[in-house]
Amino acid sequence: MTTCSPSATLSQRIAAGCDENALKCYQCKKCTSGCPVARYSDMHPAMIMRAVQLGQWDMIFDDRFIWLCTGCETCTARCPQGIDIAAIMDELKIMARRQGRIPADTPSAAMLKLNYDSFVRWGRMWEVELIAIDVLKRPTSVKSWLSLGPKMMLKGKINPTLKRGDTLAMKRMVQTAETITRAREARAAEALAADGSAAPAGAGGAS
Amino acid sequence: MSTTLAYYPGCSLHGTSGEFDASFRASARALGLTLQEIPGWECCGNTAAHSINRLLSNALPVNELVKVEQDMKLDAVAVPCAACYSRFKTGAHEVAEDAHTAEDVRAVVGREYGGGVDVQNLIDVYHDAVGLEELAAKATRPFDGLKVACYYGCLLTRPPKITLADNPEYPTHMDAVVKAIGCEPVEWNYKTDCCGAALALTEQGITDDLVGRILTDAKACGAQAVSVACPLCQVNLDGRQSEIMRKQKDWQPIPIIFLSQLVGRAVGVSDKELGLKKHLMDVMGVMA
Repeated sequence: MTTCSPSATLSQRIAAGCDENALKCYQCKKCTSGCPVARYSDMHPAMIMRAVQLGQWDMIFDDRFIWLCTGCETCTARCPQGIDIAAIMDELKIMARRQGRIPADTPSAAMLKLNYDSFVRWGRMWEVELIAIDVLKRPTSVKSWLSLGPKMMLKGKINPTLKRGDTLAMKRMVQTAETITRAREARAAEALAADGSAAPAGAGGAS
Repeated sequence: MSTTLAYYPGCSLHGTSGEFDASFRASARALGLTLQEIPGWECCGNTAAHSINRLLSNALPVNELVKVEQDMKLDAVAVPCAACYSRFKTGAHEVAEDAHTAEDVRAVVGREYGGGVDVQNLIDVYHDAVGLEELAAKATRPFDGLKVACYYGCLLTRPPKITLADNPEYPTHMDAVVKAIGCEPVEWNYKTDCCGAALALTEQGITDDLVGRILTDAKACGAQAVSVACPLCQVNLDGRQSEIMRKQKDWQPIPIIFLSQLVGRAVGVSDKELGLKKHLMDVMGVMA
């Protein structure tokens, strides 16, 4: 476990969640240079890493960046300190979702959840269902879907049917994984609290 | 190396990329490989699970590996979808490297994975399981120097500590495969840049930018076609071109072809079986 100052609570939580040490980052910015989406939001990977080090939750959770991250792993592959930066982005997404800190202009966050719910429900992801629910929940997406969807349907590119996976096995695995994850998180939170430097559980503000 | 491989198609190959599934099966058959689909396979967790429940994202692929190892008694699995491949390699890596993760994954899966399954992506199957000499020998209908840009995208090579790719910044195995079937791989700059497929349903403006940049370079470097080994890259690079053409009137479309379709054509699989009519950008000009 990293030795942390009180302001490093966020990096401690990250370390507890994905076993990555954000404090190793020395801001060389190779991650940002190679990031395909850095130019589309105010934050970029190196900036996120610095904000993690400084415990600046708001800066991260109010920005679109983590939800634009495509998970391409370029940052992870190139980090000279060997930090799995993409894993830290995932951990931030997990934390943001749990704390209800998802900005309004980030449809990708809802799409990830639709995707997750789809394979949990059917044992396999059903692409047509995803699009249908997205269109219902987010009417503005109709236009972009219409620009491509019908062409793909006509070509027979989209198979609208679904062959289910083993749905019972899937449900059992999801439940077990969620139970174990909750138990591990509770233990990690206790350990951090015992360190005397952790923010209260569920804290969303800058620590 | 066994010539019988377990086969994990994944959701996309049963959904929007049926031609990837069909062309992979047909090419494997022509090359003397036997594919056994994992019975009752589940989703690998794809791009969603690892940003929602990390443990589940490792357990789902390991559950499939356990079936291959202990039910099917096979030592290798072909995972042609690059996104599934990445999840399989990551899951196997995590349980091998981290005792806590291994313990939790065992609890979720209900069985312990012995680590005895080699996970192969589409390129690995042709490059290693079949081999370049064998591939060249079986190419009864090779291409006549078609200039191809080999696009690897993100997850076939990254992160290198997990994929063990030949060269994560400038990989060459797909280039070697297309060369073996008579194509001429071009040197170009965007082999491993992200095409933004993860954002294709939500941030089309960004995706169009990324796709435009990748394909502009492929064309500038002389490519007549782009070869891909990922269903998300294919649907994105192919489909977004129709939108790019609307915004940019002088855009010259370039066909986006699965590596399995190129190999299938070279080893004599019929056009119909390869699903060549499902592409939005015409491929018959270079595949005929």
